[in-house]
Amino acid sequence: MDVFANLALGFATVWKIVWWAPGFLQGAVSLPIPINILLCFVGCLVGTLIGVLPGVGPIATIAMLLPITFGLDPVGALIMLAGIYYGAQYGGSTTAILVNIPGEATSVVTTLDGHQMAKQGRAGVALGVAALGSFFAGSVATIVIAALGAPLTKLALLFGPAEYFSLMVMGLCFAVVLARGSILKAFCMIMLGLLLSTVGTDLETGQERMTFGFPPLADGIDFAVLAMGVFGFAEVLRNLENPETRDVVKTKIGKLLPSLSEIKQCINPVLRGTGVGAILGILPGNGAVLGPFASYTIEKKIAADPSRFGKGAIEGVAGPESANNAGAQTAFIPLLTLGIPPNAVMALMVGAMTIHGIIPGPQVMTKNPDLFWGMIASMWIGNLMLLVINLPLVGLWVKLLQVPYRLMFPAILIFCCIGIYSVNNQPVDVAFTAMFGLFGYILIKLGFEPAPMLLGFVLGRLMEEKLRQALIISRGSFMTFLERPISAGLLLVAVIVLVIALLPAMSKKRDEVFTE
Amino acid sequence: MSLNKIEQARGLRVRSPQDLAAGIFMILLAALALFLARDLPLGTLRQIGPGMLPKSFAVICAGLGVMLALTSLVYKGEQLQGFSWRGVIFVLGGAVLFGLTIRGFDIGPLKVPQLGLVVSGPIVVLVAGSAATDLRWKELIIFAIVMTTFCALLFKYALGLPIPLAPWLLGI
Amino acid sequence: MKKLTLGLAAAFTLALAGGAMAQAYPARPVTMIVPFAAGGPTDIIARIVGDHMSKTLGQQIVIENVAGAGGTTGITRAMTAAPDGYTIAMGHLGTFSAAPATYPGLKYDPLNGMQTIGLAGGTPILIVAKKNFPAKDLKEFVAAVKAAPDKFNEAHAGVGSVSWTTCTLFKGVLGVPKLNAVAYRGTGPALNDLVSGQIDFMCDQIVSVSEQIKADTIKAYAVASAERSPALPNVPTTKEAGLPDYQIEAWNGIAGPKGMPKEAVDKLVDALNKALNDEPTKKRLLDLGAVIPSAEERTPAGFQALIKRDADKLTPVLASAPK
Repeated sequence: MDVFANLALGFATVWKIVWWAPGFLQGAVSLPIPINILLCFVGCLVGTLIGVLPGVGPIATIAMLLPITFGLDPVGALIMLAGIYYGAQYGGSTTAILVNIPGEATSVVTTLDGHQMAKQGRAGVALGVAALGSFFAGSVATIVIAALGAPLTKLALLFGPAEYFSLMVMGLCFAVVLARGSILKAFCMIMLGLLLSTVGTDLETGQERMTFGFPPLADGIDFAVLAMGVFGFAEVLRNLENPETRDVVKTKIGKLLPSLSEIKQCINPVLRGTGVGAILGILPGNGAVLGPFASYTIEKKIAADPSRFGKGAIEGVAGPESANNAGAQTAFIPLLTLGIPPNAVMALMVGAMTIHGIIPGPQVMTKNPDLFWGMIASMWIGNLMLLVINLPLVGLWVKLLQVPYRLMFPAILIFCCIGIYSVNNQPVDVAFTAMFGLFGYILIKLGFEPAPMLLGFVLGRLMEEKLRQALIISRGSFMTFLERPISAGLLLVAVIVLVIALLPAMSKKRDEVFTE
Repeated sequence: MSLNKIEQARGLRVRSPQDLAAGIFMILLAALALFLARDLPLGTLRQIGPGMLPKSFAVICAGLGVMLALTSLVYKGEQLQGFSWRGVIFVLGGAVLFGLTIRGFDIGPLKVPQLGLVVSGPIVVLVAGSAATDLRWKELIIFAIVMTTFCALLFKYALGLPIPLAPWLLGI
Repeated sequence: MKKLTLGLAAAFTLALAGGAMAQAYPARPVTMIVPFAAGGPTDIIARIVGDHMSKTLGQQIVIENVAGAGGTTGITRAMTAAPDGYTIAMGHLGTFSAAPATYPGLKYDPLNGMQTIGLAGGTPILIVAKKNFPAKDLKEFVAAVKAAPDKFNEAHAGVGSVSWTTCTLFKGVLGVPKLNAVAYRGTGPALNDLVSGQIDFMCDQIVSVSEQIKADTIKAYAVASAERSPALPNVPTTKEAGLPDYQIEAWNGIAGPKGMPKEAVDKLVDALNKALNDEPTKKRLLDLGAVIPSAEERTPAGFQALIKRDADKLTPVLASAPK
């Protein structure tokens, strides 16, 4: 089969050996250096590091490392940069689990149950399950790219503005299920997220919206600023006033790795998460963001006891983490086969390719087969390396939780401040984050959950953009959302999800009245 | 249905102060958004204007706020908890001071020179750290120096981020 | 623990002593602000040119991405910085020539309030359409658009972007300002919908569209430059194709705040020239489809003249553009 020949080419590229004769030995010995494997390792290591550091995202790091890759050949350079990208996805879940700070939109869901597990002294288990699930998902996604990359490309092209809008509506309905308490309050948070997403310059007219005429707000609120504020800073404030909740982390450590029965419990969620994440990852325009949310929704809905979710359910970590990593991997499909970057990191990869004289387009696969298949092969090797890097680190991370909280939170704070500053090199972003910290603290006091707000925020911008695009193209006809079959199907799923979510809640409310 | 009547018979009173406050909070935010977006045109369906979605979302927010406030009169819920201002002032204040000093700032008569990480780092650790109830000053000061050095090496040199260290002294 | 702290303190003091000594320009790294996200066309050109300039200057040129408001946030920061030659910026057609007309409250004056250094690279603009657009050449395309402006959808990457600026000029030249303009967040998503046929046409930089044209997923009608691009030799110029009035290039160039010391300006101009004469650097730029600037355009005066020329061309169209 072609796939095997191609994969053989890929692995041969990854295993490229460069003979290095150290100068000081005067050519007496020359050593074989597996240069691409080495670069892949460096990329994964750097990626894990920046993923763990709150705020510092893969975008800033890949940008900084671009000039360093000038001296490398393009395949090696891209293998390293790709390693940084999926390494950061791994590392991001570590921060979400340990200190409840989602570095990226895709790890918001992991905070829900992952951090609860950490508080119960099961941080090691959560981290272990996240790493194993991610590895499995990454491996499957790599095979999907290798075998189906080219045909799946068509999926990306089937999605026009109308389909995206319907997809976003469906995503928002998932957010309702995320709610741990009152559904009404979850709706409030989603709407607030949508409202916040409209702050900033209007894309179509250039008019400033709700910016107070303040230039730093002209481009809207940065995701990192909002997430770090309502999760990171607000969490510090909450912990400072409840010494008992943070002490739980300190006293019990628990075991470092998941037991066999726990792994068994996770097999099905991981499989489902991988499937959902891989499909959504292909869609350009941040489809991958929905993966973890969708996976969490599915797990919570089919669980025998949904009330465990939000209180440290292991499936709530395993499923979304797998979806996250599968999506991160399949997001390469539109880039490699169409030459169109589906998100900001992929846009940067386009930049990296162009700097090396390879302009991404539909012909990369035929013109640079070693690059195409080498990258795919390196993804699998990278995932293996991430497992090797991360499993031993679990012990170290869990030990970090033993640092007294009076030192831990200033450390979290300085990392957050530097991280936020480095997103846009804008000091005022740090002040904004502090403001959102206060906002998040108020939300906690009022009994709101911030996770649905973040989802609303992430999807809101895209939803408005796509709604307006679709209506311009359809010349103002809402029927476009129902006439297009994919769009209509997605809206139908949205309605079903909503009904399933609302029915038990309504009966529950009645019970509450009854018991009063 | 009959249950609600029983509720009404007992008279309207605030059964969930937290939900009532949450509802009012939503209404206030929506009002602020509507005020800020008052000049933005709604546009038409064919060419949606910049004001259509912000205003619609704000109206829905307000509606949900009203519902929340009304349910607080019907369903029993949690009490409103007090604020711990110590954390808010020191932790958030520390972060704001970091933002003000890292590159310097110029607000009206207030001029802050560009101090860089060498100064801003210890500031955020020391100010935020004093929010802890079990504060130990000596430990915190050493920790501030160690963390700043570590961060300078990590972010500036290992990751190569363009963050100013101490422009007034080192020129970088 | 204490020993370690003392040692680190000592290391810091040493570093201070080394840095504080006054030297000839440049005595420390030079910050080049790129007012866009990393990985975009301007960022790539800045990194390629900056890499070689660092070698000539003997000090690192540090790229700092300060994105926002169509690039004006970053340029504002550069132009309000101390004019000591240590803060410069890589701007483009939008930030230097179009911004005054697009952003009424602009805090810098590209025509009188900057110290220009020189042009770093020009990027040709192409008029591209979906694969199955019926018109076979630019003349037919223009005729079709003029005949039924309401029938077609044009994509751009947001107000203030290069594709918006150049396409607004295109519509101005055609006399059909009120086309259905569909705004996207960036060129990537716009291109996706052009390839899938949801959108009819757009104008964009060669580096974004050349591979799609070569792969035949979209078609190009003309390049809006004086000469054909070596990257796409089969695409005619607008002059050849019958629309000589539409001439625009998305150049990128370096400028700093007004009042920089002459020594710094001279050294930066020299470093830029050496970078653009260096064969590997040149090849990198040419691979992007960029045009290497002429000797005249690499001087402060030549670059300033280019900014003015394009500002004169764009201001009337942008000022009256429907927003």
